[in-house]
Amino acid sequence: MKLSQYLSLVDFQARMALKSDASNYFLGYLWWVLEPLLFVLVFYLVFDVFLDSGRADFLIFLVCGKLPFVWFSKSVSQASNSIVANAGMIGRIDVPKSLFPMAIIQEGLYKQAVVFLLLFIILNLQGYPVSGSWLWLIPIVVVNYLMIVGCAFFGSILVCFMKDFAMLIPLGMLFLMFMSGIFWDVRSIADPQLAEALFTYNPMAFILDSYRQALMFESSPDLMGLLRVGLVSTALIAVMVWYMRKYNEFLALRALTV
Amino acid sequence: MTVEDRAVILELRDVSLSYHARKSSFDKGTHRVLDSVSLRLYEGETLGIIGKNGTGKSTILRIMAGILAPQRGTVQRRAGTSAALLSLGLGFKPNLSGRANAVLSAMLQGVSKKTAISYLDEIKAFSELGDSFDEPVKTYSSGMRARLGFTTALMTHVDILLIDEVLSVGDAHFKAKAQQAIKERITGDQTVVFVSHSGPQIREMCDRSIWLNDGVIAEEGDTPRVLKAYNDYVKQLSSETVLVG
Repeated sequence: MKLSQYLSLVDFQARMALKSDASNYFLGYLWWVLEPLLFVLVFYLVFDVFLDSGRADFLIFLVCGKLPFVWFSKSVSQASNSIVANAGMIGRIDVPKSLFPMAIIQEGLYKQAVVFLLLFIILNLQGYPVSGSWLWLIPIVVVNYLMIVGCAFFGSILVCFMKDFAMLIPLGMLFLMFMSGIFWDVRSIADPQLAEALFTYNPMAFILDSYRQALMFESSPDLMGLLRVGLVSTALIAVMVWYMRKYNEFLALRALTV
Repeated sequence: MTVEDRAVILELRDVSLSYHARKSSFDKGTHRVLDSVSLRLYEGETLGIIGKNGTGKSTILRIMAGILAPQRGTVQRRAGTSAALLSLGLGFKPNLSGRANAVLSAMLQGVSKKTAISYLDEIKAFSELGDSFDEPVKTYSSGMRARLGFTTALMTHVDILLIDEVLSVGDAHFKAKAQQAIKERITGDQTVVFVSHSGPQIREMCDRSIWLNDGVIAEEGDTPRVLKAYNDYVKQLSSETVLVG
């Protein structure tokens, strides 16, 4: 399949899914902003109003972490099921299997563009004016996207092998959420070595911190760290694409019979 | 000129395929679907494949279409030939309209979005879906789905057309229309593999046939002879059932 055909199929599937998704709900497209706002509201209530986070800037701290995290977790969870979910299509036509997770990722990307806009509005309303350091968002978002693609491809192959992974992946996301400093600050860990280890071995904690550095503290993220996460993600994507090409028919059989 | 004098467009040699499907937790049941099947498909012929349900007919078509690969044996398709599988199955996105699904199916077959959209009027007319064409496919009856699937697949032109039971669903009127459309294709130099469990359709459309039974070729050759062997077998099977019952 030609790349242009591939991309246009990804785009078409994503747009159509967004359209049909919106028509399924009374509030339609409003859910794009409503859902992330409700997520933030729940966390804000629990961790600031009830438990007193002790931070004056907790709301901003929370949205800068929670909104990118939800992008990752929703995209990866949904994309993981996508090859198996499209078994009907796969049984009729020989297509690159990566098409299905990519369509879900693209759908998430369109939604996330709106969510980022929402994030900027909240920042402005809370007294964080647009600043030059926001430009750091470009490489941060790119690396975040690569992480999503790599993990989504990996997850979608795992679910082809054993449907049980479809149960484990959302649990893994929950664990990742607690481990990545969404409602608590990794930098506030008393033991600096432990904080360092968390940033090194949990790319999600690192990337969320990078968002906060750029948006809240007008400072550049750790560029070497960013490059490292970007390269590892790219390598993961390359291996997954290689696998999906080499075992294209095998994955079809798995999707049809799993 | 007999069929065998024509050029071979696709050949399967000793093709075997099995897979694992769990019957219960912790189970790893192996299903052997095809066992050392060899066959040749000649250019321009219409080959019929008959057999009872669950005997590997759909799997063999999927191997011919390049969707599945056999675990043992080889598949040789002449370089540059395209193949498409026309089957009912679940190849639709239920939340999308018939229109969107038609565009998606055509694009997946390899045509550009623009070309796919240009087919739409023709697909809408032939499928006789009317206003339902713009409604989500989840609201369709199985007959309507069959009409949409058949029509969409018919629009794309390929060297080898693999037809899986599509003519067994839908109302009598559409069935006749679809059969006519396929016949028109066949009289050209279209190569067709036609799978069915219905004898009359195979008799009407195919010069040469194969009877597939439990993953092996039980009989092949002239359609009347193969059908007779198959029908005898079915008769024997039903008389045995009566005895047991």
